[in-house]
Amino acid sequence: MELEEMRDLWLVMSSDIERQKKLTGSLILKMTRTNFRNRLSNILIPELAGAFVCLAGIGFTVIRFQGLDTWYLQVCGLFTLVILIWLPFLSIKSIVRLQSVNISGNNYKQSLEQFARGKIQFLKIQKWSFYLGAILLLVILPVFGKLISGRNLFQTTSLWMWYVVAYPIFYGLSRWVFRSYSKAVLEAENLLKDLDDH
Amino acid sequence: MAAEEEFINTVKANEGIIYKIVRLYTFNREDEQDLYQEIVYQLWKSFKSFKNYSKISTWIYKIALNTSISHLRKEKRRGRKITFEDLILQTTEHEDREKKEKIETLYSEIKKLNPIDKGIMLLYLEGNNYEELATITGFTYSNIATRLSRIKQKLTLKIKI
Repeated sequence: MELEEMRDLWLVMSSDIERQKKLTGSLILKMTRTNFRNRLSNILIPELAGAFVCLAGIGFTVIRFQGLDTWYLQVCGLFTLVILIWLPFLSIKSIVRLQSVNISGNNYKQSLEQFARGKIQFLKIQKWSFYLGAILLLVILPVFGKLISGRNLFQTTSLWMWYVVAYPIFYGLSRWVFRSYSKAVLEAENLLKDLDDH
Repeated sequence: MAAEEEFINTVKANEGIIYKIVRLYTFNREDEQDLYQEIVYQLWKSFKSFKNYSKISTWIYKIALNTSISHLRKEKRRGRKITFEDLILQTTEHEDREKKEKIETLYSEIKKLNPIDKGIMLLYLEGNNYEELATITGFTYSNIATRLSRIKQKLTLKIKI
């Protein structure tokens, strides 16, 4: 089929669509208003909830930090604090980038470039969050064990049991996540390359 | 005329354009509704800027295509939205069965193109000239011509008349 023939066929379809006009004024206005609320709830609330959990963890660890009575528990405590600060920071950074597309100012090519770069950045942040999560799992167990129950889990076998159970699961999950990660990054990089070629 | 009324009339007059773009950039009914709503919202947000364009449709294509790109990365962040199932249009109301099939094939083959080619092909089929295509997409005339020729090669093999 030639392009002109495709265009003619498209014209037939377009006139079918034109005959079906269905939108009403009230529905259009409803869409603009409901969407504004959705944008807040879809994106901000889960992130704020996550940040709040991290903040609660930070507050709890800081207030009771003196309860960590050995140097290795204090090191774990410091790592816990640093990660709990970094995780929401990375998440919020990715959302700011997600929201930064200039929809009314960009042309299609610029939007595609921004999309591809943003996707690569977003996936990198996801990867970092995953690594940080693995370290957090390692350090938070003895810290919270000590702060909540007063027990030094390094002196019991239960800590190692937790690690033995948690890390194979974590490893399996990471293999699955990073397989999708590589594919998505490759797609975004190919798109950028295609845009650069022209 | 009040801004709201003017906006409503603009959207109503270009309902078909929005719908065709939504169909090309989504893969299920729920996504269709989500993107449709997002486009209407983005059009409303930048409604004042459309006066800088000589044609309203050029502005609508630009906003709708950019929103569709932006939507690709947010597709998993869905939430509550209004439902307008009954108001979703149909691409193929045509009674001619053969034509109906061809339209569906054309749609599904364009859907499979990469986002660059998909946008260019859509704008070409919509009857935009090269100047409009360049304004909306940001590609040069020669880039567009080269791409259209490649798209033609890809599609010709798959869609037989």
